[in-house]
Amino acid sequence: MMFSSFSSQHSAFPFVENPPTRAAEAPPETRCEYVRVRSAPPSMAPHGFGRGFSRSRGLSAGCSGRVRRFMEGVSLWMAMLLVLFVQPLYAEANTGNEDSAGTLHFVDGKGQWQEPALVLGSDFDVRVSGLIADSKLVRTFKNTSDDWREGVFVFPLPEKASVYGLIMKVGERTIVGEVQPREEAKKTYETARDAGRHAATVEQQRPNLFTTRVANIPPGAEVSVELSYQQLVSYRDGVFELSVPTTLTPRYIPGEPLAVAPQQWQGGWAVPTTEVLDADAISPFTVDVDDVAADSHRASVKFTIDAGLPLAQVLSPSHQVATQQDGQVVTVEPQAGDIVMNQDFVIRWQPFAGQEPGAAVFHQQWQGEDYLLAMLVPGRAGKTRLPRELTFVIDTSGSMAGESIRQAREALQLGLETLVPGDRFNVIQFNSQPHALFMQPEMATANNLARARQYVNGLKADGGTEMASALTLALQGQGKSAGEMPEDAARVRQVVFMTDGAVGNESALFSQIRRQLGDHRLFTVAIGSAPNMHFMRDAARWGRGSYTSVQDLADMSGPLARLFAAMEAPVMTDIQVTWPGQSAAVMEDSFPQRPGDLFQGEPLLQVVRGVAPAGKLSVSGRLPGGGSWQQSLDLQQAASGTGLNRYWAREKIDSLLDDARIEGQEPDKERITKLAVAHNLMSPYTSFVAVDKTPVRAAESALLKDNLPTLLPAGSQPGMARYPQTATFAPLMIALGLLGLMLSAAIVLLQRRAYP
Amino acid sequence: MSRSLLLLITSSAMLLVFGLWVPIKAVVAQELLEIAWAESQARQTESRPWPWADTWPVAKLSMPALGDSMIVLAGVHGESLAFGPGQMMGGNGTETAVVIAGHRDTHFRPLKYLEPGNELRLQGRDGRWQGYRVSATRIVDSRSEFIDTHKLPAGTLLLVTCYPFDSMDAGGPLRYVVEAQVDDTARLADKEDDHSSVLYSQAILDEIDTVAGL
Repeated sequence: MMFSSFSSQHSAFPFVENPPTRAAEAPPETRCEYVRVRSAPPSMAPHGFGRGFSRSRGLSAGCSGRVRRFMEGVSLWMAMLLVLFVQPLYAEANTGNEDSAGTLHFVDGKGQWQEPALVLGSDFDVRVSGLIADSKLVRTFKNTSDDWREGVFVFPLPEKASVYGLIMKVGERTIVGEVQPREEAKKTYETARDAGRHAATVEQQRPNLFTTRVANIPPGAEVSVELSYQQLVSYRDGVFELSVPTTLTPRYIPGEPLAVAPQQWQGGWAVPTTEVLDADAISPFTVDVDDVAADSHRASVKFTIDAGLPLAQVLSPSHQVATQQDGQVVTVEPQAGDIVMNQDFVIRWQPFAGQEPGAAVFHQQWQGEDYLLAMLVPGRAGKTRLPRELTFVIDTSGSMAGESIRQAREALQLGLETLVPGDRFNVIQFNSQPHALFMQPEMATANNLARARQYVNGLKADGGTEMASALTLALQGQGKSAGEMPEDAARVRQVVFMTDGAVGNESALFSQIRRQLGDHRLFTVAIGSAPNMHFMRDAARWGRGSYTSVQDLADMSGPLARLFAAMEAPVMTDIQVTWPGQSAAVMEDSFPQRPGDLFQGEPLLQVVRGVAPAGKLSVSGRLPGGGSWQQSLDLQQAASGTGLNRYWAREKIDSLLDDARIEGQEPDKERITKLAVAHNLMSPYTSFVAVDKTPVRAAESALLKDNLPTLLPAGSQPGMARYPQTATFAPLMIALGLLGLMLSAAIVLLQRRAYP
Repeated sequence: MSRSLLLLITSSAMLLVFGLWVPIKAVVAQELLEIAWAESQARQTESRPWPWADTWPVAKLSMPALGDSMIVLAGVHGESLAFGPGQMMGGNGTETAVVIAGHRDTHFRPLKYLEPGNELRLQGRDGRWQGYRVSATRIVDSRSEFIDTHKLPAGTLLLVTCYPFDSMDAGGPLRYVVEAQVDDTARLADKEDDHSSVLYSQAILDEIDTVAGL
């Protein structure tokens, strides 16, 4: 009753009402309605001809044979003329020397577009309990063809999702999947597929990018794959936020292609390169929403939020939602019913002012082990401003074209506003090459700021996403200013990186950030409808900074203001966490092992195994002024939670991967595999696979593979330009006009002959 | 009977006139564009061929092998393609790839006669001619293949038109693509035998015309 019914409004954003941004630059799709016209003239020909002939025969019954012969002559001429003009229509059937290299499965042998035979449906059921969101994602593959199909679909999940279950449903049958080491799972799947049995597998390509394969979908039938995953709800500045990605921005793949591909520029699936060895696995074909079946790539979404405290507001900056309250539980659904999968679904909820939780503890026992998850929000520190050296890096690659670059420009303008006299700053844009506004960071004078504003306004998105060189320029390349003042040493060096993160070489970039960071801090701002949040989060983590995402122009000031405020200074550094009964074993099982610096509004999150909910957790840190901060948390008040073991295991796996990166070694594959199998988790080295026992497809019927495309993120322009429409209706009109005139002439002639 | 016959005749005649209007417009517009092109070269600005035009000449394309040349307009929207081929992407010089699209019924009809090895030339607003040599011709399906603007190497010239050339279906998905690469040697060699070559005379006349307009 406190928030009986409210819905978020989203329609006032300029880009929603103004979608033709793409249309203006991307030429319109072929005009399909005219395709049918093609069949008209040939069918007209015999018709008109026949009528003329029968009439002449009927009327000429009483006439002499001379007239009939004349009529036959006219008819012959007409037929010949018709053939002459109609011939080009048949020429179309012969489309010449089409090379099949690089043509995709969407095109049949004749070069005609085909919708994918599989229709994809998705159903998200997200249940939030406290800080953990547990989701069931059902992907339904409906086979609309007459062949047996194998469906392959690359899809995103939240960047910190722990996938812990796979269930395949075929008709009434339910097959529960299991975790296997990656190669083994692949083999299991392929064996079952070739044997004609129902099988499904899901493997991880990136922490936020997965591939599902479903084998032997019978003609006309459907197979569904239910994926269970959980994630931590983000909590910052008193606002909880959850983001459900539905599509991905096509990734830029740097490096030289490994295989010799005949036609690089024609697009489609990327080929592996020297920098991204699995490029083909992370570059699903991206199509416009009009290119898939009308009921494909739609998702039903339902959130059930039990925040554990009364909420003041639930809203979504990305979609219009309808909310319903039942006690403390709020259910949220999109107002429009099924949503198109071309945009992240973001939902935020907020407790009443003054009731924002400052701390929370959850406890769970799993297989006889205690798991604790603690959250602590440090108080707001007083502001101590140090002079800054701020470098804005803005991504102007092709994937940013459209709505994204507008958002990025606007975000950068807002960033420039935070500069005060005494700060130094620079603006770097990058696409295939980086380009800096100033040779070195300049003082934030009115003149320099005006130049920067002008520079930013003129930015256009085009070209590649060579992030490495831009990072080098931002972190190392700018020479120290010539007349460096002594106080410059005390400057806080910060880099604000605005991008959609659409790159395939994330891992190499993180290593680079770690190497080059020095005394900088790197903050990332995610731009666009489907940014790569894995990149945002980890780049900021390795860059000892923080990250935020902006959904659209109207929603951007809030998140950005929070980020820029947080950037003024980290609230707390040198954080030490002490669990009761401090022992080496506990220390090793507490994650994250080295908590990074906290920025304003950010909570400290710690998960531990083997600590009973008794005693006190004490946390200490250093405040920006130099003072120390200490707080303790009574663990006895722990509320019971679920899925903590999975969260812990995921953190442990991430920690092992991080250690390997720091030491520059290969990760401990065996240990990670063991851990993931024990907790039934997906990881870089473990996949889920579900296999039916009995074969369904006879060996003689073929199995066709169908790579399902993903949708182009809303508001973005295809990174690859479409071929424009380059024909007119002139030939058709000329032909029809001539045809009509000839027909008229023939009728006139006939009439003259028939009634002398 | 005679009334419906009259209707048939008039509607057919109308269709014919509208159909013929397109190629006529395309030919007449090129004449006007020549003037605008000379003006934009002289002033180094975007000069519109007529006051209400929403496009302007950006380059001049010459196909010496076919003795044909034409003014290229900015953009590939219907308004610009009706009067001349449109430049989809690329700027002056060879730092970027250039993609030009044209109607197969009018300006780019001769594309079907281009063969690998043929020479193409593109004149920028600075008056400099850039030589290209056709490296391949291909047929693509516009609904499944895209022009990957990121991976198109610099110094590439793509000419795009609809395919098949004799088709009456204006909405067909196939495109004919002529791919050419920068070829400076060809251009120099060509300059030398400017006067001897009969085949190229038409193109050269056009070039001189433009210069005279300066």
